[in-house]
Amino acid sequence: MIVTAIILGITAFALFVIEHAGGRNFVTQPIIVGFIVGLVMGDLKTGITVGATLELAFLGATSVGAVIPPDAMTGSLLGVAFVIYAGASAESALILALPIATLVLIFKNFYYGYIVSLFVRKADKYAEAGDYKGIERIHWMTGLGMALMIGVLVAVSFAAGSDAMSRLLNAIPGFVQTGLNVMVGLLPAIGFSMLARTMLNKSNVHIFLCGFALVAYSKLPILGVAIFGVVLALIIVQMEKEKTTVVAGGVDNEF
Amino acid sequence: MNSNITKKDLNKTMWRSCGCSFSWGYERQGNIAYAYAMIPILKKIYTQKDKMAESLKRHLEFYNVTNQCMTFNLGISAAMEEEASQNSEFDNSAINKTKVAVMGPISGIGDAFFWGTFKIIATAIGTTFALKGSILGPILFFLLYNIPAFAVRIGLMKAGYGFGAKFLAQVGSNGIMGQLLKAATILGLFVVGGMCASLVNLNIIYEISDGANSQTISDLLNQIMPCLSSLLVFALTYWGVIVKKVQPVMMIVIMTMVGIIGAFLGILG
Repeated sequence: MIVTAIILGITAFALFVIEHAGGRNFVTQPIIVGFIVGLVMGDLKTGITVGATLELAFLGATSVGAVIPPDAMTGSLLGVAFVIYAGASAESALILALPIATLVLIFKNFYYGYIVSLFVRKADKYAEAGDYKGIERIHWMTGLGMALMIGVLVAVSFAAGSDAMSRLLNAIPGFVQTGLNVMVGLLPAIGFSMLARTMLNKSNVHIFLCGFALVAYSKLPILGVAIFGVVLALIIVQMEKEKTTVVAGGVDNEF
Repeated sequence: MNSNITKKDLNKTMWRSCGCSFSWGYERQGNIAYAYAMIPILKKIYTQKDKMAESLKRHLEFYNVTNQCMTFNLGISAAMEEEASQNSEFDNSAINKTKVAVMGPISGIGDAFFWGTFKIIATAIGTTFALKGSILGPILFFLLYNIPAFAVRIGLMKAGYGFGAKFLAQVGSNGIMGQLLKAATILGLFVVGGMCASLVNLNIIYEISDGANSQTISDLLNQIMPCLSSLLVFALTYWGVIVKKVQPVMMIVIMTMVGIIGAFLGILG
């Protein structure tokens, strides 16, 4: 059990690194994870079929933009592992997968919210000194830290068994979980503030509000926002150009 | 423009772009990865420490994009950094303004293609085989998604750099740069405004009732204007971080306290 737990932890670590340092190549999708776990635990066929079942179950849970869904990789990894280990059905894998995926999401949110922000501060300091090697180190440490956390979570979860996991999940007060979700909704405001800082001033705040109102009222996808943005920018620049052409015309008359 | 940047440098940056989501975080998202991917280029064109520092700081600003499309932005940034290093009159703020203006549209297209089209096709075919227990399932899934994904990543690196260089050559000679900067600022602000409405969320679930019916404060705010709470959150955060210069780490702590205390009191959810 312990040896299997450690092997699964290492598998999770490796899959996370391959996925996220390898251009989001989807090796952490349940269909691949099931296959790998089947390979590692010596039951390839079960691994592949349960993986495919979970793939379909997690289909809606894809991360687009800044939204992180319950962690499909750890959920399916442990779900498949428990099914192979205990000889349970593919459906029970899903029941096991969801609480674990949710638990891991809480840890991930903590990491993405806090730990990465600390690394970003450090990267700022290196940038200030022009130390690009420092930034390279930070990049790797940030990702490997996350992979390590996930690897340990997987190993501990498997060793502890799924009952202990759902007990732990239930032991976290609901308001803390809700509170962390609230925080996740607020955090992007910091990044947007930093981004707007170089552009925003009193004379163009209405442009920001215009983009905001457009999405608030119409829920327009970002590509649509960009198209309207380009049109707006063209109109404004065109108008200013006409203004300067008139002035230039006046200058021409003096020749 | 005499170019120091070789194909090899661009290739290095292309491979480094694969780490797009590796050092991701909520606050500034793909920023470390962006700086990391730019380093082979920056090393080549900036020999002075202070110039390097200035550029690294620039690329540690907020950044987020569809993973496979990052190379398009990187290519444009590479061409612009090169121009900045050779032309002292070049307005360096244009580099980030262009980055912000471009990342929205390419993410829109990229997400639709990769998460919408490619992934669905790969999943449909992969699971059909895998449900029968065939090893072809995971293998086909992997290949069907990744072959187009890497083709796009490699192609966009070249396209971005070529686009950036050509574009700069055209606008460099006359006064178009000023207008373009103006346009990039407008587009950037517009898109950031839109992203604020879609990505910043605050749900105030505290209910007020007038006896007969009750509604939450968020419902009430939404009746005035949808996403009004997101706007207020942004305004407060901007005021705190930019005007009052509250450290971002402090701001994160404040936000967590607000979240947990708010949830505990049943006001936020």
